[in-house]
Amino acid sequence: MAKAKLSSTNKSKESIEEIQANFEREGYICNSHIATAIYLSQALEKPILVEGPPGVGKTELAKATSTWMKKPLIRLQCYEGLDEAKALYEWKYGKQLLYTQVLKDKLNDIISDTIGLEESLESLHDFDDIFFSEKFLEPRPLLKAINSNEGSVLLIDEIDKSDDEFEAFLLEILSDYQVSVPEIGTISGKVRPVVFLTSNNTREIGDALKRRCLHLYIPFPDSTLEEKIIISRVPELDKKLRMHLVSFVQNLRELDLKKVPSVSETIDWGKSLVLLNIKTLDPVIVRETLNVLLKFQSDIDTADSEIEALVRVSLNETK
Amino acid sequence: MVDFLRDFIKVLRASDVRISTSETIDAMNVASVVGLEDKILLKESLSQSLAKSLREKEIFEECYENFFKESYMNFSSPDDKKDDNFNDANKDIDSELDQDIFPGEEDLESMYNESDRTALMSSMALASREVGLSQIRLFTQTGMFTRKIFEFMGLEKLNNDIFQASREGNLERENDLKELRERIRLEIRDYVEQQVKLRTSQSGRQLREEALSQVRLSQVDRSDLAIMINIVRKMAKRLVSLHSRRKKKANRGQLDVRSTLRANQGYDGLLFETVWKKTKVNRPKVITLCDVSGSVANVARFFLMFLYSLSEVLPHIRTFAFSNKAGEVTDLFETKDIEEASAETLLLYGGGSTDYGQALIDLEGFIETEIDKKTTLIILGDARSNFGDPRADILKSLQEKSKRVIFLNPEPKGLWGTGDSEMKRFLPYCGKARYCSSLKDLERVVDDLLRMAF
Repeated sequence: MAKAKLSSTNKSKESIEEIQANFEREGYICNSHIATAIYLSQALEKPILVEGPPGVGKTELAKATSTWMKKPLIRLQCYEGLDEAKALYEWKYGKQLLYTQVLKDKLNDIISDTIGLEESLESLHDFDDIFFSEKFLEPRPLLKAINSNEGSVLLIDEIDKSDDEFEAFLLEILSDYQVSVPEIGTISGKVRPVVFLTSNNTREIGDALKRRCLHLYIPFPDSTLEEKIIISRVPELDKKLRMHLVSFVQNLRELDLKKVPSVSETIDWGKSLVLLNIKTLDPVIVRETLNVLLKFQSDIDTADSEIEALVRVSLNETK
Repeated sequence: MVDFLRDFIKVLRASDVRISTSETIDAMNVASVVGLEDKILLKESLSQSLAKSLREKEIFEECYENFFKESYMNFSSPDDKKDDNFNDANKDIDSELDQDIFPGEEDLESMYNESDRTALMSSMALASREVGLSQIRLFTQTGMFTRKIFEFMGLEKLNNDIFQASREGNLERENDLKELRERIRLEIRDYVEQQVKLRTSQSGRQLREEALSQVRLSQVDRSDLAIMINIVRKMAKRLVSLHSRRKKKANRGQLDVRSTLRANQGYDGLLFETVWKKTKVNRPKVITLCDVSGSVANVARFFLMFLYSLSEVLPHIRTFAFSNKAGEVTDLFETKDIEEASAETLLLYGGGSTDYGQALIDLEGFIETEIDKKTTLIILGDARSNFGDPRADILKSLQEKSKRVIFLNPEPKGLWGTGDSEMKRFLPYCGKARYCSSLKDLERVVDDLLRMAF
């Protein structure tokens, strides 16, 4: 048993490293925490609830997983008022109506040789279910994900934006990977999808939902990781400038801002610096391009007075 | 492994992390998937399956460090390995453990002298499990548990040895053994104390929180402020989750064809029920007027805190504070955090002598254009106006314009109208007037308010 345990630890570590390497190949740089979460979710077949400040790559994680696993990504964007007709399935009403019209004669034929109301009703009963079969079912993201034969990556984005009712409705799907359609019955998948839920914490997610998920918190990356991300995303950027840029952004996050710059904004900034053909950071350049990083005027004003100091610090830090 | 996880989860629960049974099972599965060897990996994996918010992750981190500081893993692994007998080193420990089952037979002396710390520790851990150390709740129990564990580990034999040595006149050995006894005792006590710290630091706090939520707000000590703020937040969170996002379908607007067809399937496609596209979200408008003069300042602080923590359910809340002159503090509350903002409010408006008349005049000036039939006006104060004219007529006109007026008074009903209290004159214009002096009262009142769906 102990030997088996030893190897299980090694095996897990290997798999986790492998996952990390695979992500890196897809251009998604992550730390071992994220890779561990992916590994566990596969081992336990559990959905992952990803939380963290906006722009740290929560949605990106699902996308990278889908390309790496070569499974289709099915995305469900949540919003206030999202209901099961939009998330799960919908009957094709038009088709149903059209078919009943077209098949009117046929229906007449069926009941023409019956005598009395009761008998014709009886013979209709044998047929009525055809209009509520899977052929008339319009699958929405959740049903698609469950039904897919070769498995899929299901991304339920910004679950905090949806209503409480929708959250409750997700419970059945997330714990059993099955859905019930009243007219047909229970549909359960052949291959369990890999499920990601993301949340920006605009409201607290219910305990019941949390209980069914693994919880992964992605904070802002430290400078080493962020530098790696920049290397992968903006390879054209000069090495020295990259170090300065990352250290500048890291220091900027320490300021008291309404919205701190996210990783995607660092990437954008890096790209714009490349575009502007800039070789070294100086306060003038920073001031001109600051609106790429900061999205509130009040934040720009706050940072403005600190720019000289911040640039100096980041130049010194990386010497 | 099962034991140590169960124990660890108990510690987490005591530290205010909510862990359900299913999560416990998850944790077990996780541990068996990743194994126990790599502590960092194990920590990360357990954190993902047990701690489900940033706050809980922080607590988890702390608990994990404390819990495994004394290399607790070493205690439990020999127990696991006992079934395996996978190497000789462990066999030694096994035999030690076997001896443990018959207390007194093991040789504490040799164990200590050979400085076999692992064996000593594991024997200690086994003993503490046997005497139920995990049940410890109060630090006063330390002595008792130390004694119990010591006895289980073989105190009797040691005592006998000492007795024998003294009878044989072997003074050197007697002293040695006595010193040994003392050292082991200290060792055990340290261990027990550490366990007490781990397990009781939070449960004491829980007791305190419970007591504090019932104590009169004006009696709350400054040192308890931090805990109070916590309670206020918790209560507000509970209320928010109870009442947030109450919506109802509008009964006019654009027809939602799909939902209508669907709703009427039962009627064979005949459209009896209509469903409309628009949903109406209830967004109540609340205006609060808070007395922050000396006599009620302590209470007002909590009133403000509480109403502000509720701002998630009540997005349109405007707050005014007064002692003699009223001023708006909504901005202050929006930009600063709750504690800082309430402190500043008290600094700006607090301390003066109360004048309800002036305050109502000012308030009317501020909200005259805004007050409408959707607005609820909440007044928090003791209605003691220092014998000035309370201007109840203004309250009357405000009441006529608004949906309703609610008065929350920290004084019990018996005192209303005594001395300079103008409560009796305000009463006719208040849709509701309540006595409200503890956080429990406050929660009940606000819950009540929200239930009526503004």
